[in-house]
Amino acid sequence: MNLAEAIRSAVWSLQSNKLRSFLSMLGIIIGVAAVVGIVSIGLGAQASVLDRVSALGSNLIMISPAPTLGRGASVSTDAREVFTVELAQYMEERAPSMKRVVPQVQTSGLLLYEGTNLRASMVGTTPAYKDVTNYEVRAGRFLHELDVDQSTPVMVLGSRAAERLFGEADPLGEQLTFVVGDRRYSFTVVGVMESKGQVFMGNYDSQVYVPLSFVMERILRTNTVSTLMAQAVSAAEAGAAVQQAEFLLASRLGTTDGFTITSQDEMLETMGEVAFTLQLMLGAIGGISLLVGGIGVMNIMLVSVSERTREIGTRKALGAKYRDLLLQFLVESLVLSTSGGALGLILGALIANAVSRFGDWPASIELPALAVAFGFSALVGLVAGVYPAMQAAKLDPVVALSYE
Amino acid sequence: MSLVIEARDLRKIYHMGEEEVHALRGVSFKVVKQEFISIMGPSGSGKSTLLHILGCLDRPTSGELLIEGQNIQKATGNQLAEIRNRRIGFVFQNFNLLPKATALENVELPLIYAGVRRRERRERAEVVLERVGLADRMAHRPPELSGGQRQRVAIARAMVTEPTFILADEPTGALDSKTSAQIMELFAELNAEGNTILIITHDPTVAKQTKRIIHLLDGQIIKDTAGDGVSA
Ligand SMILES: Nc1ncnc2c1ncn2[C@@H]1O[C@H](COP(=O)(O)OP(=O)(O)OP(=O)(O)O)[C@@H](O)[C@H]1O
Ligand SMILES: [Mg+2]
Repeated sequence: MNLAEAIRSAVWSLQSNKLRSFLSMLGIIIGVAAVVGIVSIGLGAQASVLDRVSALGSNLIMISPAPTLGRGASVSTDAREVFTVELAQYMEERAPSMKRVVPQVQTSGLLLYEGTNLRASMVGTTPAYKDVTNYEVRAGRFLHELDVDQSTPVMVLGSRAAERLFGEADPLGEQLTFVVGDRRYSFTVVGVMESKGQVFMGNYDSQVYVPLSFVMERILRTNTVSTLMAQAVSAAEAGAAVQQAEFLLASRLGTTDGFTITSQDEMLETMGEVAFTLQLMLGAIGGISLLVGGIGVMNIMLVSVSERTREIGTRKALGAKYRDLLLQFLVESLVLSTSGGALGLILGALIANAVSRFGDWPASIELPALAVAFGFSALVGLVAGVYPAMQAAKLDPVVALSYE
Repeated sequence: MSLVIEARDLRKIYHMGEEEVHALRGVSFKVVKQEFISIMGPSGSGKSTLLHILGCLDRPTSGELLIEGQNIQKATGNQLAEIRNRRIGFVFQNFNLLPKATALENVELPLIYAGVRRRERRERAEVVLERVGLADRMAHRPPELSGGQRQRVAIARAMVTEPTFILADEPTGALDSKTSAQIMELFAELNAEGNTILIITHDPTVAKQTKRIIHLLDGQIIKDTAGDGVSA
């Protein structure tokens, strides 16, 4: 009996018991779908996290007061007071590895333009913000030094904010009202930014940008900022920049508590670790499903061999050799498991697709991952089929023929 | 006349724990080409045991079996499978057809194990199915066929390899008397066309229709007589 015959006969026998074949494939289907889904989602997530972190800018270091978490509340309060515009200048001058230190404050409120209103997040910052974040202007201009010096009420819109408020219309030169509580502030739109897409923390496109001094003095009435965004001179000096920031802050505060410094590299690393652990965990689930699926296939093959004892006897009487029956049942097990594998591939790809649609990241369905998952299903079928196939092949024809 | 089967003092002993069951106690006979023989005996006389040995499905405890002069005593399992495939055509009481396969596919099965190519297989299977009168039933599956038709498919399957002899085990056991008669008639025709046929049966009316009756009792041949089929 050659391979083609064996496959034909396997397909026959599996088709003749469709429900049972399907049920015994289920474990393999789930296992392969899990592996494919996980790997695709994982790869996609990893790529998108990398993209988003890089989209923040290059060689960035985020310095901010530690959030007050009960413990050491007073320390944190102190730390927050230290975060001023003056600290940003001080760091920029004193830290040789830092090119720029950009202070920023954030608030949120309601933007009004004629009949339209939009809840938006407002960033008060300086002109350097645009450079450290690699942010491009689409129309008009970004903030100028003069705007910050004079606290001019000008506003630059993220692309999505502009679209929401103005639609197709040109926002440049238009007057907007920003409402916080019962206070209203009037701004003139001077620029619209290019789209940056979803970024690691928050979405640049739906924010609006105004002079730092305006937010601090007029809206929040504070002299502290929420975050300092520093840019290292080069990627190689990012580590040194973190150390310098730590040293300078610690010497000001007299303690190393009360602030957090995170470099872009660290974010990448953390995200990578999280993604890896996740993949490992889900991969293990896939592996276990495949194992269980293999046991299911083996079980059904043993059942099949014992049900078809007379058939095996007949085949032997007609001249089937040990090898022929071994091949027949091995191929049957393989066809069963790889059919499950194929269904699993489809299901996994569908899951990955659905997750990426709803979860806002691209699933990357890659051929090697598919091949590996499918290969595993074949391997499982082979291993699960060997023992039942040997049982079939070594049956005594006399016993098999007189089996009731 | 060429010798098809030569059985020399075949003995078979089954061990049931301490007890020994002597199923065959020295059976010797010869079969020449184009004989039409029935092996008859009451239940427990050793018919099935002898069939298994003649069919190369089992080996005797002692004695020798020669098929076309070849001693099968020393044949390996694979060689026995080959002998069954090339030289022996089996017909069973319960037909033993594959229920999901068509009549044509069932008849092709032994040719698959003989390594015959697909097209030739199909042609040869069609020829024998026509010969047994099932030209219009080739695409039917066994459940869609009557008992007599199923046994015809099984006979076609036994003949398709052009074996040295056909070995039938109670071929009419599952059929009514009218259908039995038709099947026996088919065997008689096939014999007239040159086939060597051995039928194992406990039914005297079946045995009578063959040319030679070997009577078995307690594992021994007690009589070897001519049947009515001589005139056929
Ligand atoms: N596998 C076995 N183990 C032990 N004893 C056996 C075995 N097979 C057959 N026998 C015994 O051998 C003797 C002959 O059995 P066999 O099956 O050949 O008889 P038979 O003529 O075919 O009977 P029946 O017409 O009932 O089928 C019986 O006594 C039976 O009990
Ligand atoms: Mg019997």
